[in-house]
Amino acid sequence: MKAIKLSVPIFFILFSSVFLIASFNLPKASLGNPDAPIYFPAGLSIIMLIFSIIYLFQELKKLDKENKYIKQMLSGRTPKLIGFTILLGVIYAFVFDRIGFLYSTILYLGGLLFYINGIKKWLVNIIVTIAFSFLSWYAFSVLLGVSLP
Amino acid sequence: MDGSSFMEGLFISLEPMNILWIIIGGFLGTIVGMLPGLGPATAVAVLIPVTFGMEPVSAIILMAAIYYGAMYGGSRSSILINTPGDGSAIAATFDGYPMAQKGQAGEALAISAVASFIGGLIAVVGFIFLAEPLANFALEFGPAEYFLLMLLTLSAIVALSIGKMVKGFLAMMLGLTLSTIGIDTQTGVYRFTMGIPHLSEGIDFLIVIIGVYAIGEVLYNLLTIDQEKKEKKKVGKVWFTKEQWKRSKWPILRSGPIGFLIGVLPGAGGSIASMISYTTEKQISKKPEEFGEGAPEGLAAPESANNAASVGAMIPLLTMGIPGSGTTAVMLGALIMLGLRPGPLLFEQQPETAWALVNSMFIGNIALIIINILLVGLLVKILDTPAKVLYPIIVLLAFIGTYTLSYSTIDFFLLLIFGFFGLFLKVMDFPLAPLVLALIVGGEMEQNFRKALLSSDGSLDIFFSSGVSIVLVILTVVSLLYPLIFKFFKRRNLANKTDKISKSS
Repeated sequence: MKAIKLSVPIFFILFSSVFLIASFNLPKASLGNPDAPIYFPAGLSIIMLIFSIIYLFQELKKLDKENKYIKQMLSGRTPKLIGFTILLGVIYAFVFDRIGFLYSTILYLGGLLFYINGIKKWLVNIIVTIAFSFLSWYAFSVLLGVSLP
Repeated sequence: MDGSSFMEGLFISLEPMNILWIIIGGFLGTIVGMLPGLGPATAVAVLIPVTFGMEPVSAIILMAAIYYGAMYGGSRSSILINTPGDGSAIAATFDGYPMAQKGQAGEALAISAVASFIGGLIAVVGFIFLAEPLANFALEFGPAEYFLLMLLTLSAIVALSIGKMVKGFLAMMLGLTLSTIGIDTQTGVYRFTMGIPHLSEGIDFLIVIIGVYAIGEVLYNLLTIDQEKKEKKKVGKVWFTKEQWKRSKWPILRSGPIGFLIGVLPGAGGSIASMISYTTEKQISKKPEEFGEGAPEGLAAPESANNAASVGAMIPLLTMGIPGSGTTAVMLGALIMLGLRPGPLLFEQQPETAWALVNSMFIGNIALIIINILLVGLLVKILDTPAKVLYPIIVLLAFIGTYTLSYSTIDFFLLLIFGFFGLFLKVMDFPLAPLVLALIVGGEMEQNFRKALLSSDGSLDIFFSSGVSIVLVILTVVSLLYPLIFKFFKRRNLANKTDKISKSS
C-alpha cells in the first residue's frame, strides 16, 4: 500500500522535472521573443514541482494511515478485474482493424461480460453481447454514418 | 432580449428532430445518471460520439438534455437504493431514501421529479434574463481579462475541493502542462511532441475526458462491484399527498434561485447547491428533527437546487466560453470538436443557437418530468439491471466514441492509459474536474496571457489595468484564501464550543 501511496507524488515530481528540463530545451521561436514558447510551460513545471514536493511530504506524514480504496484495489479479484479489462482493451485495439468492428466487439464485450458477470449467467451474457454489438454497429454505422472497419 | 432571436430559437427547438434528441438525450442521461457512481460528466462523455455528424445546434441541445437527464437520474438511485449517481445527488439520499424505506418510494420519486422540474424552470427564466447582459459584458474583455477569468475559474474549482487543495492544484497543473503539448499557435514551435506526428496537434482532450470519466470511473466502480446492493424496491403510485406538497412547495421555490446562482459561480455546482439548500431548509424549518427521517422538504429543496444549478452552470459556458464545472468542461470539449465556439460572440453571431438551447431546456424539463413519472416502472427495471452488465457496455461505448474521433486505434491505447491514470487519481482522492477544465482552457489561457503581455511590452501591469481585471485578481486571491478562512472559522467555532463546555462544567 505504501508503494502505491508514494508512487503518485513521485510520478508528479518526475513528470514536472522532465517537463521543466524539456521546457528549457525547446527550440527558440524565429518570430518575436525567441523564448516566448518556453515561459508558460517552464513556469507551470516549477509550480507543479513545488506542489509535488508538498504533496510528497503530506503523503509521508500519513503513510501508515489506511486508504480503503487502495485496499479494495488490491483485495479479492479486483486487481484481476482491472487488469483483465485493460488487457482485453489492448487486445481489442490490436484486432479492431484486422477482424472488423462486429467480430472484435463480440469478442471484447463477450469476454468482458463473461469475466465480470460470471460464467453462470452465460445466457444473459450471450444475449447482451450479440444484441448490443449489432445495435451499436447499426446505430453508429447506419444511423450516425460512422465508417467502422 | 431580442424577441425575434428568441422566437427563432423556439422554432428550432420545436423541430421534430430536435424534440426527438431532447427526449433521447434526457432518457439516456437519466439511465447513465442512475448508475451508481456515474454522474452527468460521464453521461455526456460516453454519449459524445452520438453528437458527431449532427448540426451543432442539435448537438448542444442533445448534450444539455443528457446533462439534466443525468441530474434527474442521479436522484432515482439515491432514493431507491441509497446510492447517489454523483455528488449532487448525495443530498437526495438524506430524506429520499428514508421515505422509500417508509414505503413512500413513489411519493419520493414524484416530489424529486416535480422539484427538479420547477427548479429547472426557475433557472431557465433566470438564464433568459442573465445570459445576454453577461455576454455583452464579456464582449468588453481583452486578453488580460480573459486570462484572469480563466485563472479565477480554475482557482475557484481547486479551492472548493476543501481538504485536498494541493491535489487540486496538482491536477490543474497537470491539465495545463498537457495542454502545452503540440504546435505553439503563435510561433509555430513544436513543443513536447517527442517526434510523434500524432501529438503535433496536441493531446485530444476528448480522449482524456472519455478516458478519465468513462474508463477511469468504471475501473473505479469495479473496486466495489462484488458488493453490489441487491435491493428491490416496490414503487407504488408515483404521486404525492396534499400534505407533502404543502410542505415542499416553498422549499422548492426558495431553492431554485439559490441553486441557479450557485450554478452560475465558477467552480461551484450541483453538489454545493444541493447541500446549501438542504442546510438552509433545515435551519428555517419548524420541524428540523424530521430532516434525515424522510421529510419531504428535505428531498424537495436539494432536488430543486441541483437541477437549477445545472442550468446556471451553462451560463458561463455559453456567455464567456468558460466552463465552471467538470460536466460543462466536457460539453465545451465536444462543442469545439463540432466547430461551435461558445462565448460572448455566440449571442451576437448565432443568437438562434443560444436561444434554441434555452428553449430546449423548457421542453427538456417537460419531457423529463414525463419520463420520470410515467416511465418510472421502466426506470426501476433498468436500475435492477446488474452493474456487472452495464459497466462493460459503458467501456465499449468509450472505445467506440474514441474511434469516431480520429478513426485510429492508436487512440485506444491513450484511452486506456488515461483511464488507468484516472483510476489512480480517484483512488488517491484527487479531484478530476480541475484536470479536465485546465486541459480544455489551458491552450487559450496561455495564448491570452501572451497576447496580454505582448500588448503591454512585457509589463505585468496589464493585469491590473482595468476595473474588471482588478476585481478578477481580488476574487482569485479570495477564492484561494477561502479554505484558510473556512478553517479559521471552523477552529474558532470549535474553540468557542469547547470554551462554553468547559465553562458550563
